[in-house]
Parts: sequence; C-alpha cells; structure tokens
Amino acid sequence: SVSAAHLLRLHQRFQLLDKDSSGSLRSEDLEAALSENPIGVRIVGAFFQLGQEMVDFPSFVRILAHFRPTEKNRTGDGVQPDPGTQMKCPSSVAFQLYDRDRDGKISRTELLQVLREMLGLQVTEEQLQSIAERAIQEANLDRDDTICFDEFRKSLEKVNINHKLSVRFLE
Amino acid sequence: MATRGRSGFCRSLPELELLLLAILVLLNGTVLSLESASSSEIHTGEGNNTSKKPFPVIGIVYDEVSIPFEISLWVLLASLMKLGFHLIPRLSNVVPESCLLISVGLLVGGILKLARDEVPPVLSDRIFFLCLLPPIILDAGYFLPIRPFVENIGTILMFAVVGTLWNAFFVGGLIYGVCQLAQDTYSEINLGNIGILPCLLFGSIISAVDPVAVLAVFEEIHINELLHILVFGESLLNDAVTVVLYHLFEEFMESGSVSAVDAILGLVSFLIVALGGVLVGAFYGILAAFTSRFTSHTRVIEPLFVFLYSYMAYLSAEVFHLSGIMSLIACGAVMRPYVEANISHKSHTTIKYFLKMWSSVSETLIFIFLGVATVDGEHHWDWIFITATLILCLVARVIGVVGLTFVINNFRIVKLTTKDQFIIAYGGLRGAIAFSLGFLLHTDHKKIFLTAIITVIFFTVFVQGMTIKPLVELLAVKKKHEAKRSINEEIHTRFLDHLLTGIEDICGHYGHHHWKNKLNRFNKKYVKKILIAGDRCKEPQLIAFYHKLEMKHAIRMVESGGGSKLNSSFPSTVSMQNIQPKIQSPPSARPAERALPQLTKGREEEIRQILRTNLQRTRQRLQSYNRHTLVVDPDEEGLDDLILKKRRMMELDWKIKEMTNYLTVPHAQGSPTMSRTRMASDSQAYVKPGAKGVPSIQIDLASPQSPDSVRLLDEVGQDQGLTMSLPSSSSRAYKTGGKDDDRDQQKLLRCLSDPGPSADEDEDEPIPT
Repeated sequence: SVSAAHLLRLHQRFQLLDKDSSGSLRSEDLEAALSENPIGVRIVGAFFQLGQEMVDFPSFVRILAHFRPTEKNRTGDGVQPDPGTQMKCPSSVAFQLYDRDRDGKISRTELLQVLREMLGLQVTEEQLQSIAERAIQEANLDRDDTICFDEFRKSLEKVNINHKLSVRFLE
Repeated sequence: MATRGRSGFCRSLPELELLLLAILVLLNGTVLSLESASSSEIHTGEGNNTSKKPFPVIGIVYDEVSIPFEISLWVLLASLMKLGFHLIPRLSNVVPESCLLISVGLLVGGILKLARDEVPPVLSDRIFFLCLLPPIILDAGYFLPIRPFVENIGTILMFAVVGTLWNAFFVGGLIYGVCQLAQDTYSEINLGNIGILPCLLFGSIISAVDPVAVLAVFEEIHINELLHILVFGESLLNDAVTVVLYHLFEEFMESGSVSAVDAILGLVSFLIVALGGVLVGAFYGILAAFTSRFTSHTRVIEPLFVFLYSYMAYLSAEVFHLSGIMSLIACGAVMRPYVEANISHKSHTTIKYFLKMWSSVSETLIFIFLGVATVDGEHHWDWIFITATLILCLVARVIGVVGLTFVINNFRIVKLTTKDQFIIAYGGLRGAIAFSLGFLLHTDHKKIFLTAIITVIFFTVFVQGMTIKPLVELLAVKKKHEAKRSINEEIHTRFLDHLLTGIEDICGHYGHHHWKNKLNRFNKKYVKKILIAGDRCKEPQLIAFYHKLEMKHAIRMVESGGGSKLNSSFPSTVSMQNIQPKIQSPPSARPAERALPQLTKGREEEIRQILRTNLQRTRQRLQSYNRHTLVVDPDEEGLDDLILKKRRMMELDWKIKEMTNYLTVPHAQGSPTMSRTRMASDSQAYVKPGAKGVPSIQIDLASPQSPDSVRLLDEVGQDQGLTMSLPSSSSRAYKTGGKDDDRDQQKLLRCLSDPGPSADEDEDEPIPT
C-alpha cells in the first residue's frame, strides 16, 4: 500500500482541497484543481463511482493507489481485469475512464466524446468523426464497431502502460 | 522487392561488382600516379619554353581537377561498395556493413600502398570533423525520437557523463600502472616513459562510445527502442565529455602541472561546453524555424535552409570549442516540429532523402578511410600495451554499466534488467571519432597510442559488431515492434498524458507530467504563433498527426493501384503514369477502367470476412524503417493481392470522400494541409469516376452541418467489381457542380500521387508535446 509519509502528504492535500472542511470532497473541489485539464470532468467522475456525492479520505487514497508504480517491468500487464477485485490493472483504469457507461465497450459516441474533450473547438465535426472512425477501424477485430477491453489493450501494446500510468509520488 | 527474377542474374553480379571495384581501384591508383607524373612534367616543361612545340591536340591536365576528381572517385567507390554488399544477402546478414567497409578500406589502402608506396592522407581530421561527421549527426538529430529520449534523459546523461568519466580515469590510470610495471629500458619505446597525463589523455580518447559505429551496428539488429535510445543517446551526449577531457588533458600536458583550480575550471568548462553547445544549436534551430515560416513562395530552397542552419550551428559551436555534436542535435531536434509544420510535403521528402543519402555515404566513407588510414599510419605494436588497453576497456565498460545501473534503477520506473545491461555494455563500440582524436595528438607516444586505438576500434567493430546480432537472438532480447504508429496509440497516449497530469494536479505533486504540460501550454500559446505560418499554429497535434497518417495511407493506396487490375506489374505502371503530365487524356488512355475482375457474390462476402481478420496482420507486416530501404512495398501474393487491393480501394474512396470534402469546402474551413499539398504537386490523377456497368459505391459528401455517411450501395447488386463515383446530384451550396467535382478529385489524386517515402516510423512519430 501507500507508505506512511505519503499518506500524510496525501492527507494534507486532501485537507487543502476540502474547502469547507467537511472531511470529504465534493466534485466541485476536485474540479477546481483540474480546471485546465481537458478531461478533468472525466477524471473527477472516476472518483465518484456508484453515484456518490462525496468522497472520503480512504476512498480518495484507494483510487489514487491505482497509479502507484508497480513492480511489473516491461513485460506488460499480464493481469486479467477482474471486476470483482479492488485493485485493477492500470489499463483497465484507463479503459473505464473512456467507457463512462460501464458497458465494457468503448462505443463510437464515447470515443467521440473523448476526442471532443481533448481537441476542443479547434476541429470540425467531420474531422472528429473520421478520426473516431479510423480509430475504431484500426482497433476493431470482432466487427462489432466498438472497442472492447482486449482490443484496447492490444492497440496499446506498444505504449508501455505500466510506465505511463505511474505517478512516482505515490510510491 | 521481387528477388525471384534475379536468382539467375545474381550469380554474375557479385563478380561484376568485384570487377568494377578492381577497375576503380586501379583507376584510382593510376590516376594518382599520373598526377605525380604530370606535375613533374610541368616542371621540366618550363625549362625549354624557347623551342616551339606543335599544337597539343590532346593533353592531360590533371592538376586542376585532381581534388574534386579524387573525391568523386572515393565517393563512387563507397557507393558501389554499398551496392555490392546488398547484392550478396548471405554476407550482409552475417557481417555488419561496417566490418565489410573497413575490410574494403584495408584492401584499397593496401593496393594503393603497393602501387605508389604511399597512401593519400584521406582521414585528415579536418575532412573528418568538418565534412564526414556532420551529416551523420544531423541525420541522427533530426530524426531523433524525442519522446523516448526525453523520458530516459536521466539515464542517458548518467551513462554519458559519469560513465565516460569513469571509463577515462579507469583506463587511463590503470594503463599508467601497467606501463610502470612493464617498463623495459632497453626496448625501443620505453613504456615507463609515458607519463600519467598522456595516459589519461589516451584514456579519455578511447573511452568514448562512438555514435557512427553504434548507429551502423544497431541499425541492423532492430533492437527494442529503449536500449537503442540508451546506447545511442549516450554515444551522442558523451561528445561533450570527450571534448572537455581531451582539451583539459592537452592543456595540462602543455603546461606541465595540475592544480586544484584547474580541476574546478575543468568542471566548469564541462558545463559550459555542454550547455553552450545546446544553446547554440537551439538558437540556430529557432532561426531555421522562423525562416521556414516565410518560405511558402519559394518551396524549392526550403531544404537548403534546414541544412545550412544546422551546419552553421555545428561550425559555430566548433569555433568556440563547444560540443559541435550536441549543438547539431539540439538544432535538429528544436527545429523539427516547427519546420515540419511549415514546409511542403515534398520539401520534407527532400530533406529526408538528402539526409539519409549524405549520412549513408559519409558513414561508408568513414569506414573505408579508417581501413585506408590503418594501412598508412606508422604503427608500433607493443603486445603488453595493446592487450592491456583492450582488456581494460572491456572491464571498465562492464563495471561502469553495472555500477551505474545499480544506482539508476532506484530512480527508474522501468528497471533495466541484466540482459539490458549486457547489451548496453556490449554495445559500447568505439569508432572513427576516437581515431581522429588520436590523430590530432602531439605527444611523443603518438604511434603507440594510435596503434592501440586502432586495435580497440577493430576489435569492437569486428568482434562485437559481428557477434551482437547472434547474441541478441540468443538472449531473446526484446526487439523493435514492427507495427507502425496508429491513430489509436496517439489518442490513447494523449489521453493518458492528460490523465496523469490531472492525477498529479490532484495530488499536488509537481511531477514531470506537470512540467511537460506547462511546457506544452507555453509552446502552444507563444512559440507556435511565432514560428509556424498561417493557420497551422492552431492545429492541435492529434489532427496534424492524423492528417499525415491519412495522407500517407492514401498515397500508398493510390500508388499501389487502388481497385485496379491485378497484375503484379501494376504498381510500376501506376507510378509511371502518375509522373507524366497529361491534361485531359481520353478515358481509354487511362490505365484500366478501374474494374476488378468478376467476383461472385459469395466470394465477395468471403473476401470481406477474410479482410477483416487479415487487416490487423497486414498492418503489422509492414517493414520498420531501416536506413537501407526507404520504400516499403506491401506484400502482395495471390489471394492476398486481391483482398488487399479490394480493401484498399474501399478505403481509398472513403479517403477520397474526405479529402474531396476538405478541398471543396471553402478555404476558411478547409485544412491548410490539404491546400498546401494541392499547390505543391504536378503529377497526374487518373481516376475516372462514373463508369457505367459497374456497381458503384455511392459516396455521400458530408456537409459541415450533417454527420457524414457512407452508403455502400449495391455491392451485391452486380457482380462486376467495384468502382467509385461521386453522386451526380450536386445540390449543396458549396459545390459548384459535378464537373468541378471531377476536377477536384483529380487534383486531389494528383497531389496524392507523390511517390514519397512510405512506411517510415520516423515520419509517423508525431511531434511530441
């Protein structure tokens, strides 16, 4: 788990973010920290699973713990995503951020939403559409017009996910 | 590349090559001896200018053209060698090119020495440092994969700086010890006379890993990106250390004494050399980027700016004794994102081809000259010194790598395994830079040093170079992924970047994502506006990457004949016809009616099924980028042929739809990339839309207001293959009529049929943020 010194720092940070000192964070507090981030809303959404309004410190830490640097090397995450367990592998965390409606697949609309958030107003609608289309074409192996988790992982083989999804702070 | 047709031919070609080589060498030799003959003739000729000579109908005036002539001969020799090696695939698989080239150099040097008893001093340091080295470094710097480089910069710096220092002092110090132990006052060169400073100087020369050798060997083994960038980055960055140490020890040797102040000054000088070099390079890089902003009307000289500014950066750094290599790398890396956004596609191709060509020739020449200079130089072979040097170099490298990795692994997320360490240690090749620096020495012991340097270079290049490939196979080291960078990766990588920045913001931790984000934002807000022309400065990275990808894909498909006849000779005829300018050739003259041969309905379904499953594999069969091959031909054999072409054709019209959309939409909305490429090309398009009697894929051109849709009509209606047509109705406000459609489509295909380089990983690498 997270070490004691880091826990302390996280706790201090938690208190800093918690403007009204209520002992738990609301989404507005987190969003304030992520104001410039294009997918800030989405990230905040990850903290508030199951429709909660507030998130308390233990869950805060638990979610952040997903981004700990792990022991696994470049051998790739051979861990299968198991929806039952608490600790998910990093790519499933990313996948869930794409897949907001939690149906296990990234549909075209979801991908479009992500692209829209990331690219903002600088591109036309068709460009977004064509990018989304091409992305799905490339990754799609089972002809169902969506990207399921395995396809997602496969298209990210080259990108070293474990490396990417690690924030050293949380060692 | 079809090798089938050449199997019979192949047998005679190596002999042909050898014959050519022999002819050339003899030519070279005779020319050089003629030169000396003719120069003597002139001297005697001046003595009797009183007697009238008959008018010389034919004379030999070699002096005036001797230098360029000889240079051209050498370059020609090098290029023919390169040709020769690749005609003998068995040889080039076993032996790396650098070894073969050095052998050729030895051969040529030997022949010249026999012929004239004297070898031209070809590897003079000026030629090497001013002409031969810069192209290679610029090529490396311009195409440096920035993202892995910056991610591993800490490790690379550690290896480059600390590793080289350790090597230099270890080798220098211990060789001094060996010399003292082995001194023998009666031998020709008393080892004991070599002082500590010359030994340290020697150590510093020999400890530097050489980028040329590393590039030459690692290029062929296709090792995974991490190791490649580590060794290569180290070889580039240790130039600063080498320069400083070299000058430092030389100064000390001249002044005769060392004080603590000098040591501190040495440290300061190192910082100045390294940072100064980078700053000079960055300065020129920014200048180049700024200049490229205004070149939209004179596209032809765009590549020249890139080359000139880079070379100026190198020379300016050399003027101030800063690290020229680092300056060149910094210049290339800094200017690339902005220049590529500004210049035309063709200029980009030109730059790429030129850089590859120059660096290739340079590298070949360097190795050949190394061979020649070995024959030439004065050598003194001392068993003890040389074997000691060799062993010490190897030991130092191993200890250095292991020790440093031990320390570095504490700071890395992705640790370096033992296998990695072995490859890094084994990949520490020495090369021509060490030799040239040795050449520049002024000490008494130059001969013995040079011999030792050459031995080490030969050992590393031959032994290590030859065995590294089997070792990589044996140890099952992870190899480079062959797949090209896909749009998915790009999207996901950016997504993850944003995600991690967000997480870091939440934690309140100013990690490297945070700073990277800040740098990006600064870049987008200020720098891009200044350095990139026109609308392009607002174009986000992802879009730029996407366009590039699409364009390349479309070019490739158009080149390989999307939807046309299936004979395997087709690709060549397509490109030939692209080049010939025709204005409005009658439909019959165009190659093929774009009709596929008859396909039954069931077959079509089958094919589509196979396509889906094969498509992923097809993409991964594309070759990775390699210095020796610039164009990739997609595999086409039999049924795959049919499948691929059909698939491509389907994709092509999808692309056409989009591109045409961009072209016909009024300028304010159109992508500047497309309009730029439209202006910049002159070859002919060949698609004839609207053929009758073939099932057509109706393409619904999207308007900005409605979501686009492609309706695949009537594919199964008729069995006569496919072609594409634009819808005849043109009721949209922004289109001026069907005829313009045709012309636009042709224009589009014209600009797309630029037979530029394809399947290049470097190009695909988006300019990282």
